[in-house]
Amino acid sequence: MPLSKLNKLLYSILPVLGVILLWQLVVVFDIVNSALIPPPTKVFKAIIEWANSGDLFIDFYTSIWRGISGLLIGSAIGVLLGLLTGRNQKLNLILTPVLNVFKAFPPVAMLPIFITFFGIGDFSKVFSISFAAAFPLWVNTHLGSSSIPIEFIRSAKLLSQSRTTTFFKIIIPASMSSIIAGFRISIAISFIMLYVSELAGASHGLGYQISSSHLSYRMDKMFGALIILGLTASMIDLLFNRIIKYFFPWVQLNRVM
Amino acid sequence: MNEVVVSAKNLSVAYGNNSVLENINFEIRNREFIGIVGKSGTGKTTLLNTLANFINYKGDVNVQGNIGFCFQNHSLFYWMTVAENIGFGITHVNGKEKKGIVAEVLKKIDLEKYANYYPKELSGGQTQRVALGRAMAYNPQILMLDEPFSSLDIYTRDQMIDWVLKLISELNITVLMVTHYLDEALILADRVFVLKGKNISNVIPVTFPKPRTQAIRFTEEFQKCKQELSSLINHNNS
Repeated sequence: MPLSKLNKLLYSILPVLGVILLWQLVVVFDIVNSALIPPPTKVFKAIIEWANSGDLFIDFYTSIWRGISGLLIGSAIGVLLGLLTGRNQKLNLILTPVLNVFKAFPPVAMLPIFITFFGIGDFSKVFSISFAAAFPLWVNTHLGSSSIPIEFIRSAKLLSQSRTTTFFKIIIPASMSSIIAGFRISIAISFIMLYVSELAGASHGLGYQISSSHLSYRMDKMFGALIILGLTASMIDLLFNRIIKYFFPWVQLNRVM
Repeated sequence: MNEVVVSAKNLSVAYGNNSVLENINFEIRNREFIGIVGKSGTGKTTLLNTLANFINYKGDVNVQGNIGFCFQNHSLFYWMTVAENIGFGITHVNGKEKKGIVAEVLKKIDLEKYANYYPKELSGGQTQRVALGRAMAYNPQILMLDEPFSSLDIYTRDQMIDWVLKLISELNITVLMVTHYLDEALILADRVFVLKGKNISNVIPVTFPKPRTQAIRFTEEFQKCKQELSSLINHNNS
C-alpha cells in the first residue's frame, strides 16, 4: 500500500529525532564523556553562535562553491568518458586501461600531488573533487551505455537515420538510470573530498572549520560543522532526486521502490 | 500479379563459425502476408534481422520500400510517452502534421486516452499495440513482426489477432511475421515458410478465403492444415 505524504515525512524524520534523543540521553546520563561528545543542545548553541558571527555563511558558501564546481566538472568528464568508452570499441580499448589505473589511485592520496602541481588555492581543491567525482560516473555511464538493448539501437536505425538523434534521444536517455546512480555516488564522494581538501591550505569552508575546531578543542563547533556538512550533502542528494523526478519522470517507473 | 518487394537469393548467415542460414531463396510479392514458423534456433529471427539489414550476410537480398519492425520484446523507448514513441520515426513532416499523424495512429490502435502514458504504465496488449503503431506510423511498405504476441496471454493474443486482421485489411502493406503459434500463422498468412535445417524446407500456401475471422480455426480443414504444418516442422527430414 502506498504511504501517505505525512507517513513518508514521519518515516524520514522519526529516525533522525530518535538519534538526537539518544545522543542527548547518553550525554546526560554520563555514558560518554561530554567533553568529547557534547550534547546536541550545546552543538545547536555553537551553530547559532557561528551563524551570528557571519562566518557560517562564508564557510558554507565557500564549501558549496568548491563542492558543486568539483562535482559538476568531474561528473561532466565522467559522463563524457563513459559514453566514449561505452559506445566506441576503439576508444574503449585505448582509454579503459589508463582510466582503470587512475581509478585505482585513492583520491585522498592524490591530494599532495595536486597541491604540488596546482598550489594550495581553490583550483587544487576543485580539481581533487572533480578527480574523485569523475570515476563513479565514468564506470556507471560506461556500463549503462554499453548495455543498451540492441533492439533500441536497431529501432532507432529504422525509425531515424540520424546518428545525432540516436545519440541524444536513445543512447543518453537509455543510459540515464546508470548515470543517475553514478551521480549519487559522486555526490557522497565529492563531500568526502571537500572535507579532505579543506584540511590543507584553507582559511574558510566547512572542512576547514571541522579541522580547526578539533585543533582548538571546540568539539561543539566541530560537531556543528560536521552536521552542516552532512545535511548539505543530504540536501543536495534530495534536490537532485527532485530534479530527476521532475525532468525524468520515467526513471521513477523503472524503480522497484 | 503484384510485384516482388522482398527477395533473397543464395542468402547465408553465420555468427562467427556457426552457420545459421544457408542458401535461402524466396520471393515475396506486394501485399502478401508471410508467416515464418519453425522450431527454436532455426533462424527465424535471424532471417528477419537480415532482411532488415541489421546483421551481415552473404548472398543477395532485395527489399523495396521502408521497413517497419516490431521486436519480440516490443523495444518501446521507456523514457518516451506513447505519443512520443509513435512520433519518433515521423521525421518528414512539420510539428503540426506530426501531431495529426500520431493522433490518427493512436485512434487506429485504440489508445487515444493513453497518449501521455509511459510504456511501463500499460498492459502487455496495449504495449504491443503501441509497438505496432510505432512500426506503422511512418507508413512502411513492409512490416516485419518478430513473435509480436509471444509475451501475451492467450485471451489478449486472440484479441490482438482480431485487431491485426482488421488492420491489414485496411492497409496496403506486405507483412512478414515470425511466430511459434501455428494458429496465428494460418489465420493471418497467405503463405507460411517453414524453417528447418538452416533453410526454408517448405512453403505452404494458405488458401482459406478472405476476409478471415478466428472462427476458421474450428473448421476441419483448418485443423487438418495445422496438423500437416506441425508434422512438417517436427518430422520432415531435411
